[in-house]
Amino acid sequence: MIEADHLSKTYGSTLAVEDVTFSVEAGEILGFLGPNGAGKTTTMRILAGYLPASRGTARVAGFDVHENSMAVRQNIGYLPETPPLYPDMTVAGFLWFVARLKGVAAGDRATRVTAAIKRCNLEEKRDVLIRKLSKGFRQRVGIAQALVHDPPVIILDEPTVGLDPRQIIDVRNLIKSLAGDHTIILSTHILPEVSMTCNRVAIINKGRVVATDTPDQLMTSLRGGQGYEVEIGGDVAVVEPMLQQLAEVRSVEALSASGSDLPSGHSLVRVMTQGEGDPGQQIAAAIVGSGVGLYEMRRIRLSLEEVFLELTTQESADGEGGTLPEAAIATTDSEATDPDTTNTTTDSSNQEAI
Amino acid sequence: MRILWSNLIAIYRRELQSYFASPFFYAIAAVFWLLSGFFFVVILLGPEGVIAQVALRDQAGITEPPIDVPYQFQGIFLNLIGSLSLFLLPMLSMGLYTEERKRGTLELLATSPVTNWVVALGKLLGVVTFFLTITLPLVVFELVAFSASNPPASYQVLLLGHLGLILMAASVLSLGMFISSLTDSTILAAVLTFALMLLLWVTDLIATSLAGPIADTLGNFSLIQHYNDLIQGQFNTNSIVLFCSYIFLGIFLTAQSIEAFRYQRS
Repeated sequence: MIEADHLSKTYGSTLAVEDVTFSVEAGEILGFLGPNGAGKTTTMRILAGYLPASRGTARVAGFDVHENSMAVRQNIGYLPETPPLYPDMTVAGFLWFVARLKGVAAGDRATRVTAAIKRCNLEEKRDVLIRKLSKGFRQRVGIAQALVHDPPVIILDEPTVGLDPRQIIDVRNLIKSLAGDHTIILSTHILPEVSMTCNRVAIINKGRVVATDTPDQLMTSLRGGQGYEVEIGGDVAVVEPMLQQLAEVRSVEALSASGSDLPSGHSLVRVMTQGEGDPGQQIAAAIVGSGVGLYEMRRIRLSLEEVFLELTTQESADGEGGTLPEAAIATTDSEATDPDTTNTTTDSSNQEAI
Repeated sequence: MRILWSNLIAIYRRELQSYFASPFFYAIAAVFWLLSGFFFVVILLGPEGVIAQVALRDQAGITEPPIDVPYQFQGIFLNLIGSLSLFLLPMLSMGLYTEERKRGTLELLATSPVTNWVVALGKLLGVVTFFLTITLPLVVFELVAFSASNPPASYQVLLLGHLGLILMAASVLSLGMFISSLTDSTILAAVLTFALMLLLWVTDLIATSLAGPIADTLGNFSLIQHYNDLIQGQFNTNSIVLFCSYIFLGIFLTAQSIEAFRYQRS
């Protein structure tokens, strides 16, 4: 339904998107995950036919976005980064305008507008001026605008930005309910959002697609290991062979001791583990067994932030990305799913975590 | 074709609705009505007005040539309204595209199955309709005054004068629309359009004060001269063609500039 083939976009001398290739099957939801400035919006704009690509081609619903722009425009609903709203119109009036603009037949307009309003829970705001709506409601009007003409392909650029946690749940459910009949591509910088709504995820960083996979597999490859930070009374080289022999140990790494007040001769080692079990006891035994002193041993978990950094900076290292502690995800999720914690800090921490 | 039409109506209605929803445009209309009402009274009934002058001539015993009061009046009145419009029109056209660019709604228009031409034409029709609406009261004033005229006034002259006003306004608005499509700043668009008005005015001044082929050429391109012809009841196909060319030029440049904007935006 959507095929991007080696898309590149340069602005002057800066490269915004480079060699992006992916495809989305009909009825699927693809999440476009990446940090700010990774090229998500540019890619979305190219797919929507708003920006021409510098190189490469994109096809949406079987039409080339550049050569057959009008056909593509008829088949997409697009929510840009900032919802395109006319503040002096009412919600219903605006949706009516968009329906007309998108070529919905005169007889169907009333039904389509009502359906879009209902889907996005905007009934109570139907006749309110958009100028008077809060950011969350505006965002929802933006989404309603993208689906009012019932397009086969829906492109959503950061659909949950600026919403409170309860609204985020609503919007995610809405997006999930649209799958099947519609092919959806959405961009986000929130990791849990992708795992909750999308069938497939493309991770983009610095204009390049780093990984494309199902969220489950991504999570599996991300999961795998917590680790330990260990202070030993000797050099890493002494303990490393013993540790590497353990099946549960994924990597052993010396941490730079600069800035810390380690006694001379001591060193800090980070041991990353894999698998379901907790090999703390074996690690301790191995260190002690190798004859150096064990002074401190601390369980560590990579924070979401670090996971994301690892994902987007370590692409060349092993292609699998980093480690994602389950607990951290669960925390973020429960914060987002709990309707009672309707404060903005949840929202922002949720976003900042990634 | 049906879809094109439906798109055009959508754009047109939205544009028109935005004028009637905005206090700013009511304020503009109010100022326009106040000033034009004032001009109307002064030119027709004031101590130096058309009627007073005719009465003076009658007293002095001059009856030849006879003066056609409605015709004389309309020439002076619409000339002033034309000058007033040159100040007013940049304010109407300044937001046509700058607002769309600022609000990001241009992205909606550019990803909807509607061409830049249709958007530009719909917008122009919307703003021209708004201008037409605020000049309607003037027609009512004139009709009331002309109905008292004896012998009866020629309504063709009145219609032709107002056709001239609308055509001139549409030409200016069309060029103003192009200027507004070049920038994000509403103020800048207004200032540039106003500068363009001054340029047109200066061109006209040069054309009327000089003689020779250059002055003639400039005169032929002058909106103001063709407008003056029309309000004096001289129907001329040249004038209509010239106004339509300006309108087309504005729409064409707007459509091109919006297309270019998408290609070069960074």
